[in-house]
Amino acid sequence: MTSANKTGQTPSKRAPSARVSDHLFAAIPTIWLALFFLAPLGFTVVYSFGNSLFGAVELGFTLKNYQTALSGFYLTTFLRTVQFAVTASALCLVVAFPVAYFIARKAGRFRTLALVLILIPYFSSFLVRVMSWQILLARGGVVEVILNFLHLHDGPLDLLDTKTAVFIGMVYAYLPIAIVPLFVVLDRIPGPLLEASRDLGASRFQTFWAVTLPLARPGIATAVLLTAVPMLGEMVIPKLLGGSRGVLMGQAISSQYLQSQNYALGSAMAVLVLIAVAVVVAALARLTKGFAEVSA
Amino acid sequence: MSARAASPGQGDFRRRATDAGLSVWFVLAILFLFAPIAVSILYSFNLGVVGKQTSHFTGWTLEWYPAAWNDLALRRSVQTSLYVAFWAALIALAMGASLGYALVRHPSPRVRRWLSGLTYILLIVPEVVIGVSLLLFYAVTGVPLGAATLIAGITPAAIAVTALIVRARALTLDPRLEEAAADLGSTRLKTLWFIVLPQLLPAILAGGLMSYAFCFDNLVVAAFLTTPAVNTLPVYLYGSLQYGPAPSVYAAATVVFLFTVTLLGLAALCFRLSRKPGRTGAS
Repeated sequence: MTSANKTGQTPSKRAPSARVSDHLFAAIPTIWLALFFLAPLGFTVVYSFGNSLFGAVELGFTLKNYQTALSGFYLTTFLRTVQFAVTASALCLVVAFPVAYFIARKAGRFRTLALVLILIPYFSSFLVRVMSWQILLARGGVVEVILNFLHLHDGPLDLLDTKTAVFIGMVYAYLPIAIVPLFVVLDRIPGPLLEASRDLGASRFQTFWAVTLPLARPGIATAVLLTAVPMLGEMVIPKLLGGSRGVLMGQAISSQYLQSQNYALGSAMAVLVLIAVAVVVAALARLTKGFAEVSA
Repeated sequence: MSARAASPGQGDFRRRATDAGLSVWFVLAILFLFAPIAVSILYSFNLGVVGKQTSHFTGWTLEWYPAAWNDLALRRSVQTSLYVAFWAALIALAMGASLGYALVRHPSPRVRRWLSGLTYILLIVPEVVIGVSLLLFYAVTGVPLGAATLIAGITPAAIAVTALIVRARALTLDPRLEEAAADLGSTRLKTLWFIVLPQLLPAILAGGLMSYAFCFDNLVVAAFLTTPAVNTLPVYLYGSLQYGPAPSVYAAATVVFLFTVTLLGLAALCFRLSRKPGRTGAS
């Protein structure tokens, strides 16, 4: 019944079928997106099967580009990208979960302020923030000074142009977007449910493990989706913080278009990224479906 | 449970320790998120070495703010970004509002399912893929790159964000209000304008604002679609990195950031003020 209300499907004599306005509301954005989103993606898929000439593509059907994209340097890059995205997304989740938990359960009257604080960095230039990490991570930079001060590290710290720097940058850039969905699910868990678990004798840890965590699954899935997927295509952070070593798919695809002018190979690599994205989405859909079955 | 009953002091201590740990973690996360912003503001006052930014602070100066203002290429890129973000946000606002409403209210479940599928696809295709696809698309169809192609290219993700915000609000609309309006003789157009739009307006404006910030800062899609004549601020900065950025870049970023935060603050204030009379009237 609630779903009928939500969707405006309540039986009514005056609204038996779609009106002109309903069709317009659905059609106008669809046409716009078909033109500037779906059609370009379609071109990419078609071109990924074409024969590459320099700066041009002869249309046809060949799997040659995929063979190239799945061998040697390109395969290594692809696998490295998947590994980076999965690891960085997991790290992001680990950092984000306590923050979201704190805001949802412990922040009290400061929760709006806390949420605003999390979101403000999003409105400053992404590029400048990543550039600032170069300054922070540089030899003799702030991070080195702090770690030395805390005796967690001795002497100079060569973080810039390493994998670690890329991970720091990725976790940094996607942290707010991981916190928000986690906050939303944790906020919705009714307090009495947790009290009941405690009253029935579960320890704090057992309550967290058996009640909070399963209920937070949709939020975890969303957080992973919103971080891992853009990480699969990330091209700025690895370039600025990772140096020339450890090129990821984003840069590799971009250079096929902007430098090598091999559109066909670039398209095949872009399609491979889309396939990786689809696999992530399918895996996460299974995770949340399992949740729906449990709750039903 | 008996352990818990026997030693409440211990449980209390553990709870406090967990809470303290969470607070510390939160503060560290905030410091982590704001550290680069603080650095970018601080280093906009850095003397630098021969006009280039350095990772060591070499001394205070105010010269980079006028330098940024006098850098014509930088200023033009800011103007382009403002222009592009404005039109892209306006399109995203209109398209996103329409899509968000259709996601909830289109009579056919099949259309609704297709529309929500489309919305989620918009959000999960990596930007670099969208960027190269649009470059290819424009090259193949022979459309010359310019401001319009850039604006069109950065709208899809912004449309999805706006649509989801509007959808969340549209779900709370009471369909009986629209039926009542129809009963009282209102045309569909009038109902949309006087009943539906005012209720959705805060969400639509919030979506437009998000889109504006989002489009202004877009780097990856724009990197493929800019030309020497149409160059946005992030792309200009990205290009300038090859030669080592000047502190004036940080000065420009600081001014833009303060401008954006002020704009958001004003928007939040308007939103609050617009809600207040309704509240006092209800109570």
